[in-house]
Amino acid sequence: MAVLNMSGQTASGTGEGIKVDGLEVSYGGVVALRGISLEIGPGGFVAVLGANGAGKTTLVRTLTGLLPLHKGRVTAGGATLNGVSVVGRTSRDLVKSGLAQVPEGRKLFPRLTVEENLLCGAATRTDKSEMDANLERVFELFPRIHDRLKQQAGYLSGGEQQMVAVGRALMANPRFLICDELSLGLAPMIVSQLFELLTRVREDGVGVLVIEQNARLALQHTEDAYVIEVGRIEHSGKSLNLRNDPVVQDLYLGGGGEATAAFSEIAARPRRWRR
Amino acid sequence: MSYSVDSHPVFRRVTTDYRQEIRSIGRTGSRGLAVTVVVLGILLPWAFSRDVSPPFAFPWSTWAAVLNLSLLSALGATAFNVLVGYTGQLSLAHAGFLTVGAMTTGYLGTEAGLPFLVVLVLGTVVGAVVGILVGLPALRLKGYYLLLATLGVYFISQLAWKEFLVANYGFVGMIVDRPQLPAFTSGWPLIGTDTGEGLILSNNFRWYIVLAPICILVMLFLSNLTRSREGRAFAAVRERDVSASLIGIDVARTKLLAFAVSSAVVTLSGALSSYYLSARGEDSFPFAVTLNFAIMIVVGGFSSIQGAIFGAVFFHAMPELTKWIRSEALVLRDIDYLRTHSGEIDLLIFGALVVLVLTTRPDGLAGLWAQIKGWFTKWPFST
Amino acid sequence: MTQLAFDAAVNLQLAIGGVALGSIYGIVALGFVLVFKSTGVLNLAQGDFLMLGAYLSVTLLLTNDLGLYMAIPLLALFMGFLGLSVHYSVMRHLVGQPFFSIVLVTIGIGTIIRAVLLMVYGPIEKGRLRALPEGSFKIGSVQVLWANVIIIAIIALILLMFVMFFRLTRLGLHIRAVADNLEAAAAQGIRPDSVYAMTWGVSLALVGIAGLLFGNVNNVTPAASTIGLAALPAAVIGGFSSLGGAIVGGLIVGVVEILLGYHLGQSWRQPSAFMLLFIILLVKPTGLFGGKEFERV
Repeated sequence: MAVLNMSGQTASGTGEGIKVDGLEVSYGGVVALRGISLEIGPGGFVAVLGANGAGKTTLVRTLTGLLPLHKGRVTAGGATLNGVSVVGRTSRDLVKSGLAQVPEGRKLFPRLTVEENLLCGAATRTDKSEMDANLERVFELFPRIHDRLKQQAGYLSGGEQQMVAVGRALMANPRFLICDELSLGLAPMIVSQLFELLTRVREDGVGVLVIEQNARLALQHTEDAYVIEVGRIEHSGKSLNLRNDPVVQDLYLGGGGEATAAFSEIAARPRRWRR
Repeated sequence: MSYSVDSHPVFRRVTTDYRQEIRSIGRTGSRGLAVTVVVLGILLPWAFSRDVSPPFAFPWSTWAAVLNLSLLSALGATAFNVLVGYTGQLSLAHAGFLTVGAMTTGYLGTEAGLPFLVVLVLGTVVGAVVGILVGLPALRLKGYYLLLATLGVYFISQLAWKEFLVANYGFVGMIVDRPQLPAFTSGWPLIGTDTGEGLILSNNFRWYIVLAPICILVMLFLSNLTRSREGRAFAAVRERDVSASLIGIDVARTKLLAFAVSSAVVTLSGALSSYYLSARGEDSFPFAVTLNFAIMIVVGGFSSIQGAIFGAVFFHAMPELTKWIRSEALVLRDIDYLRTHSGEIDLLIFGALVVLVLTTRPDGLAGLWAQIKGWFTKWPFST
Repeated sequence: MTQLAFDAAVNLQLAIGGVALGSIYGIVALGFVLVFKSTGVLNLAQGDFLMLGAYLSVTLLLTNDLGLYMAIPLLALFMGFLGLSVHYSVMRHLVGQPFFSIVLVTIGIGTIIRAVLLMVYGPIEKGRLRALPEGSFKIGSVQVLWANVIIIAIIALILLMFVMFFRLTRLGLHIRAVADNLEAAAAQGIRPDSVYAMTWGVSLALVGIAGLLFGNVNNVTPAASTIGLAALPAAVIGGFSSLGGAIVGGLIVGVVEILLGYHLGQSWRQPSAFMLLFIILLVKPTGLFGGKEFERV
């Protein structure tokens, strides 16, 4: 599996970055991830793609310390954040080390107000002026949030909730942001806007890792991508290249320029999942 | 060397088909154990009642009482376990059913003068009916709602009990005469009186003769019930009653059955204990009684009939043991405080045990016993 | 049985007493719901903690003759620490265990507390505390006891402090976040463990103060632990997941209990809370302020 250097800066050079090496994760006896290796450096923009159940969420849980909560275990390989292993560390520790998460399905605090949700994101920060500055930055990125500050988060629309979720993660002053299924349940236009906003987040030097089912948008906006199938990385490379890869197009982008094949042809294609 | 399956020392003790699995006696080579238990079960109490002098001062008669009380409590604890552990219906109304048993005894036994065995049978039926009545609202309630509603049933039962006492017995409380068995028991060996009249249950051994068979029958019934189709329905309802109904289990009927059976047994226990203890007053059924059953099944071990029995025996034996230790042990013997506050200290030990067992070894004594049995069953592969 | 009295003044007087008793129940129910919402634990030892509060106040107020306004903060602090230790020593080891196991553990803890109290204080009644001013005043034709007014005032103040803590402080925010969505809270770096411990601390501090006030209204006896259980129906009546509902539920139970006790006899007091519970469960099972609850198959 190819391990790429990202975004012009070598990850190993500055010591900063998320590095996953030969990772294997199991839930009880079920192996969810096998031999995963990927990398993201400071300010990078990486997409991890795959169908439902491919193992993307497991990867996120491993990186954010939520694996034990779901009774999962790293059974081989490892992952590091800025050179230090993430395995066995608490979520709090990882957030403090600069890794923030926008969870799948937003997972806001529905009965708390938008403002309170944002403040929760700063749970690991203690500097009041830093928090105020972060809040300002969030308002700058997401002006709609400012209008809804005192409303209960549960009543916001899907897109607004997603913005709050990203804003909440940014309040932790992260160096790296993991966005799990940003596009889920949202209109394409809003998802586009979100991706563009993520680009602006990168301007502050934050590396962004998006986990996505929506391959098209993800490949459009990111710089590098990995495709996971049934727990393994099957494709990786620059997003631009993957966009033009016929196999990827076939499986994830709804076919390329070819005419639609007859059913018998499709049925005859080699099965990819029998290992 | 070749072994046939039937003669292999290990295979013989492991179940190999479904019929073996659901047999109540004879699993895991325990036939010999069962016979031993039965023989001991007859000899020991006889010895207790005869005050056979052991080498050191051991209070045999107290232990006979412990045995009988354990039998009574085992009934209640097993019923509690069937309802709560097997069927997952969180109920704290247990002491309330004991009260119903006491009221039945008082009304039918003392007032109406019906014979002992008839009162017991009627009491069981009344218990089943009341259980169904209590179970009806339970059909709609879950988890903590059910818990609190059954707690309410308990408090209301206490109200009814107090009114009952005031109406029938005034301040003295309920006194029950010693029960008399039917006439045919007069000629029995070992215990008969040869007077032509029925036996009066006046000492612990005679009580044991009555309680043991009742207990064994009820336990066998409950044990078979949990291994039957109904029993599996109980377990399904405990896990996910919505899913259970999807596979065709009549959830309402199952829950009501659990309530009916459980309440019937507890009420029986309550009726029996009213006869045994002879006097019941206003404060005979504090909420702590339900907690005692909880202690029994926690220490004994959840989800097993054996657990309830272990727990009941433990519950009644432990205070006696600590009393004996206290009076014999060199240092503790002289501490007066331990003697005057023995009740509270026992309570403290029980509470601490509950917490300890649940945090360290949730399957209790029964789990320990299963581990021991498993060691023997798997021998010579156990280590 | 006394005849039903329709004298408005008497009933109003009783009602005020009921409000005082009810506010005590409300605080106990509040502590109960707080722990439940945050940790998912049904604390059946709540009654025993109430008893602990009452007995400790005997020591503070009678034996050591501290004033009421010194005793309350001291008691709250002690009970708060006790709550922290309950979590750190016992409850935290039971994460992930089945619901009923956890309920039984709380029963075990309650038993230990009751046993220790009996050992230290003995089983005899301690009589009523008289730390509150005696006497009464009249509004119109209604006689109002000073004691009741003070109880209501103290509890109102405590509630105000609680609301301020819950809504305005960082820790209160974290407690609410954990109660709303545990995983999301953990993802933000909030430590559920500390939050749980603090929740227990606050809950027990509330119950402790309730115990102190309770001791001024009733005799301090071991039966206090059973009486404290009346707070549980109060919580359900108010809607189990609603903190404000717990207070309202408590008030309703208090008033009804006093009125029933007067009109129908003292033995009707104890089951009255549960009778109300049955009515509510039949009419609106989610309680007055509770929301709908769904079960995922």
